Amino acid sequence: MIPALTPELILYATAIGLTTIGLAGVVLSVHLFRMVLSLVIAEAGVNLMLVLAGYRWDAVAPILTSLGEQPAMVDPVPQAMVLTAIVIGVGVQALAVSILIRIRQRYATLDRWEVAERMDADIAATAGTPRDVSQEAPLGERPLPPIPAKRVDPSGSES
Amino acid sequence: MNGALALTIALPLLGAFLLPVLMRVSVAFGVWIGPAILAYGCWILGDLWLTGSMQPFSVALGGFAPPLGINLYADTLALLFALAAQLLGLIFWPFKLDQDSARRQALMLLLVAASTGLALSGDLFNLYVFYELTAVATFGLVAASGTSAAYAATIRYLILSGIGSVLTLFGIALIYGQTGTLNLAHLAQLAPEQLSNELGLAAFLSLLIGIGVKAELFPVNTWVPEVYATASSRLSAFLAGLVSKLALLIILRLLLLVFHQPEAAQVILILGILGVVSGELAAWRAKEMRRMLAFSSIGQLGVLFIAMALPDGQGMLAVLALALHHLVIKSGLFMLADGWGGALQRLRGSAAASPLAAGLFVLFSLSLVGMPPLPGFWAKFTLITELAGQTEPLYLMGLTVFLLATVVEAAYLFRVAAIIYQSAPQERRPDEIPKAGGLSLATAGLFGAGLIATTLLIAPVGDRLQTIAAQAQDVDLYINTVFPATPGASQ
Repeated sequence: MIPALTPELILYATAIGLTTIGLAGVVLSVHLFRMVLSLVIAEAGVNLMLVLAGYRWDAVAPILTSLGEQPAMVDPVPQAMVLTAIVIGVGVQALAVSILIRIRQRYATLDRWEVAERMDADIAATAGTPRDVSQEAPLGERPLPPIPAKRVDPSGSES
Repeated sequence: MNGALALTIALPLLGAFLLPVLMRVSVAFGVWIGPAILAYGCWILGDLWLTGSMQPFSVALGGFAPPLGINLYADTLALLFALAAQLLGLIFWPFKLDQDSARRQALMLLLVAASTGLALSGDLFNLYVFYELTAVATFGLVAASGTSAAYAATIRYLILSGIGSVLTLFGIALIYGQTGTLNLAHLAQLAPEQLSNELGLAAFLSLLIGIGVKAELFPVNTWVPEVYATASSRLSAFLAGLVSKLALLIILRLLLLVFHQPEAAQVILILGILGVVSGELAAWRAKEMRRMLAFSSIGQLGVLFIAMALPDGQGMLAVLALALHHLVIKSGLFMLADGWGGALQRLRGSAAASPLAAGLFVLFSLSLVGMPPLPGFWAKFTLITELAGQTEPLYLMGLTVFLLATVVEAAYLFRVAAIIYQSAPQERRPDEIPKAGGLSLATAGLFGAGLIATTLLIAPVGDRLQTIAAQAQDVDLYINTVFPATPGASQ
């Protein structure tokens, strides 16, 4: 049986859908900036979810307009929480972008795998040890084919 | 006096925001602000610990009564970890005076304030805020190393931590939608009726994975070796020693108070076992000191999760003993790694160069492996007896994995000890042999002295831990402390 399409159902589906899209984006993206943007989407979905947790359709905004009889109001607590969550999210995203700028300056790339590769190489070089596992010397017997010099990116973003 | 508890969070926070300004006015004055604030926090908490009647109490912040207001809940367990946060903050204080020192000290104060909040807060959303504060302070401190690898490690940690906070918020939204409250005591009252279902389980899993990022839980711990290898040793010691334990403490509280489903304990048990296996094996393969310590810390946290999964909080004493033991040992080992970072083979002959450090390393290793009469033996013994008393096969599997992991642990720790005591290769000049010395060796010595003192006083310490564990296990006590006027009422 298909449940009736109430606005509430649509909103819940949107919230969960946004979160899923965001998390999938973080996992599937290759570009670090896209990963950060995906996090923003996921956070928007969760914030919507929080607002929905305290929402009532027959109620008004929780603002005292008169001292007389009060109409039913929506729960203000989740709205306060969402405000806090948004502020925290913006702060973290700004920090993330500023770190991305630094990485771009140092490594001249924001490709997730290349950055990880160079970070591992840097750590191993500082420690003075051979790399545990690398593209040239993986764990098995046969080395993997080398990374192509110019990776073909179907999405057309910078390589 | 109880009201002063809030100052232990508020003062470091205030200091963190004022410090950069004060440093600009007067460096000589600004340098002492941070340590002074933390010392005062230690004094407040120590005073509460010594003079208090050992009864838990709750402080309603701003005079707004819970469940609508936010409260701080202080039982002996919370006080202990809050005190540890302030004390370790003081021990690992970034004294080095350089250009960034104001920024770094401000971030450290922020980290300590947030850690103290994590230990004391009694409100789920408030915990989330402190959790994020800890994360942001950590990002700043790791990136402060200034190397390219540190930036890359920070962004990778930030993204993983972002996934964690999304999941945590999702869990919070589920819980609030179901119960309409986020106060832990209120949730503990409502949980048996409203959260012992699939929805409660889903919320618990979201929170577990979300908070587990900081607690080095198995699938979300890829940041650990990268961050510990690039951050300064003092920060790594603070993160591995304290912050991971605080995240664990939150999960433990949630498990005890709110989520009683057997499935929840099973998930924790399985993830714990996987953490032990992956962490210890990776540590065994590691060729570098800090990487080895980072992986070993994942393994140890896995053991803690196994202990936590014991039904009805039976593992409380074991969790507490193992957590405190690991806190002391890992902090000490990371301080030793400060001078001994780098490839393990480089360490040949360093015992002759710095005999005290080598002795400390052996002492810490023996205790970590569980050699009697060191405290590590008693902590592990408690867990083994509890696990062996279970009949379910999964717990016995946990026991097997735990014992095997101890063997692996002994193998890699003693391998390092053997390298340290080898004679130095002929072709190397004496000044090439890495030396552990100065402030970091003194700090490690402090932890070593604490370990030996605990060995001598093991009986009273054990009794005290038992009372702390019993108090933390008591759900009714928690509820009655937060809502003294209306015990058992739902509103």
